[in-house]
Amino acid sequence: MRGLFSNGMRPRAVALAMVLAVWFVAAFGRMVHLQILNHGRLKAEVLEQSQTDMEVLPKRGTIYDRNGKILARSLPAPSVFFSPLKSESATGQMEQIARLKSLLGLSEKELSRIRTRLQKKDTFIWIKRKIDPEAVGRLMGLNIKGIFLQDENKRAYPLGTLAAHILGGVGIDDNGLAGVELQYDKLLEGEKGRRLILRDARRRAFQFETLKEAVPGNDLYLTIDETIQYIAETELEKAMAACGADWGTVVISEPKTGEILAIANRPVYDPNDYPPAVPGDGVNRAIQHTFEPGSTFKIITAAAARELGRVGLGEIYDCREGSISVGGSLVRDHKRLGILSFPEVFIESSNVGAIMIAQEIGEQNLYQMIKAFHFGERTGIDLPGEEYGICRPLSSWKKSSLRIAIGYEISVTAVQVLRAMDVFATRGRLIRPSISLSAGVRGLSSPGSQAPLKVLSEGTASELAEIFKRVVEEGTGLPARLEGFDIAGKTGTAQKFDEDLGRYSSAKHLASFVGFVPADDPIISMIVVLDEPKGLMQYGGQVAAPVFRDISARVLRYLCAAPKPKAEILVTAKMAKTSRP
Amino acid sequence: MVNRKYSPKEIALGAAFILVLLVIVTFYILYQSEAIQLGYKIAGLEDRVARIKEEIKKLETKKAGLLSLRRVEGIAREDLGLTDPKPGQVLYEGVDIPREKKGS
Repeated sequence: MRGLFSNGMRPRAVALAMVLAVWFVAAFGRMVHLQILNHGRLKAEVLEQSQTDMEVLPKRGTIYDRNGKILARSLPAPSVFFSPLKSESATGQMEQIARLKSLLGLSEKELSRIRTRLQKKDTFIWIKRKIDPEAVGRLMGLNIKGIFLQDENKRAYPLGTLAAHILGGVGIDDNGLAGVELQYDKLLEGEKGRRLILRDARRRAFQFETLKEAVPGNDLYLTIDETIQYIAETELEKAMAACGADWGTVVISEPKTGEILAIANRPVYDPNDYPPAVPGDGVNRAIQHTFEPGSTFKIITAAAARELGRVGLGEIYDCREGSISVGGSLVRDHKRLGILSFPEVFIESSNVGAIMIAQEIGEQNLYQMIKAFHFGERTGIDLPGEEYGICRPLSSWKKSSLRIAIGYEISVTAVQVLRAMDVFATRGRLIRPSISLSAGVRGLSSPGSQAPLKVLSEGTASELAEIFKRVVEEGTGLPARLEGFDIAGKTGTAQKFDEDLGRYSSAKHLASFVGFVPADDPIISMIVVLDEPKGLMQYGGQVAAPVFRDISARVLRYLCAAPKPKAEILVTAKMAKTSRP
Repeated sequence: MVNRKYSPKEIALGAAFILVLLVIVTFYILYQSEAIQLGYKIAGLEDRVARIKEEIKKLETKKAGLLSLRRVEGIAREDLGLTDPKPGQVLYEGVDIPREKKGS
């Protein structure tokens, strides 16, 4: 048999074997180099080139009003990102992206950011977040390599500025930044998912794998009524325009449950463009702004006098002087009111009379009642950023601190004053205000479910409610009077402290009115606060009380609360006099 | 080594077996292919359903915006010339309010 490698074939075969052996050793060595020595680095590089692990934001829950009307909802809005091809230069990539400038409305600042990221050789660059879905077709038509879309959601507030301060707003990643969006962020946000994008050798995406499905957030129902909110906002707007106030707030609640039906603030912002351009516009004046309330605080003085001080309804106070000295500072009435009975002190809103009552009952009783109404504490309303207000401890009171009886030397929020008035509406119960109807889901406690505190006896509360009814029938609250309905309320006009002058200003006031209607079986309670009204009319009874009346008229009509027949309305001499032309 | 000769019957049986096998494989492939096609179709339809649901939500939100009270009141007052009702023009259902007599 002839051998395979006989004669001249053998050296060539040996040479070939040697070449193959060298090739094999070289290949093996390279494999060891790649697979063992550089394994970690190369694997990471391959994964970076072939896979992108992306976070998928969940769909945020919808916010509804108490009747199921949409206040905020997340809608699909794709985001555009760039995943560059390594073979292309940064300049070439930038030229491609510049083609999107007009379509996506990219600003020079945004283009500069993208350019910087390209120079840093980032593999994932956001071009534009949350674009108009209708632009997607045109975008893909441009067929730009490396441009991809990521499904995202954008928060939409279809009613624009309505209830802006209640709703708050969200950030670019749909995280709540203010209002109920922040308060119930955990409830609304859902759970993030993860998605893996697989790419081929040319970095083209060929498969999307869901690693973890995003769980949508829960829906939230608020106590707000869209119609009542709208009425409050339009009437507040009208009042602001008429009196030229710097800011204003209106809070409407259902006194028996503490449910807030509306919170209107001016100035306002559009939550669709959160954060507001002017930071001050985002302040919810109803809970995030404190002020000296003035005469509306006399409701606490009245409660302390009747409940703790045992002051009789028939007691009289000599207010003929028109002024009284309290710890060295002079307290005046708006006019000389003569000799007043206990109810008349509040009906006519006499500062002198209220100070006399406070002196009679003493600081201890007054302070005890203020604390019973929980002033200086948060009301616990389920909105973020609520202020405490300032209520100094009795130990740090000076002689002039007795002016607290007329609403000075104490700082409160509008919601605190409304909650205090609700005590008279509910015949003695202090109820925590609430903004959400469905916060009970997912183990979050519903604020409204907390048991009310009994802070006044039913008798005292009813008696004082009758006095506050007379405030509107014949006293300083007369402009709040509404045909067919009995309103109980209290006016407030607080002089503002002028930092420049170092004393209370006689030109700058904070006008307010707080009350409930119908007085005997309240459906709604409301506070109206207007800061620094301009012009001749600056008193609470002149500027805030008419707003209360107009809002009440529209809200009661909306709630189908029928007015009482005319015959049942008690016509007092003062009413008859004022109704004359 | 001796080659065994197959009888025509055996050959026919073998051929039939191969034919049946081919038919089964063909049907299996067809079935699988059809199943995959249906899978794609179902996935496509599910995607469409999801998109339509999103579209419904989008339209509901748009509707909420169009029915906003500010807009409706604007149309009522400016375009239709409607005004607020006067006290006597409001009727309350189920509430008996004595009306004022004419001429009184």
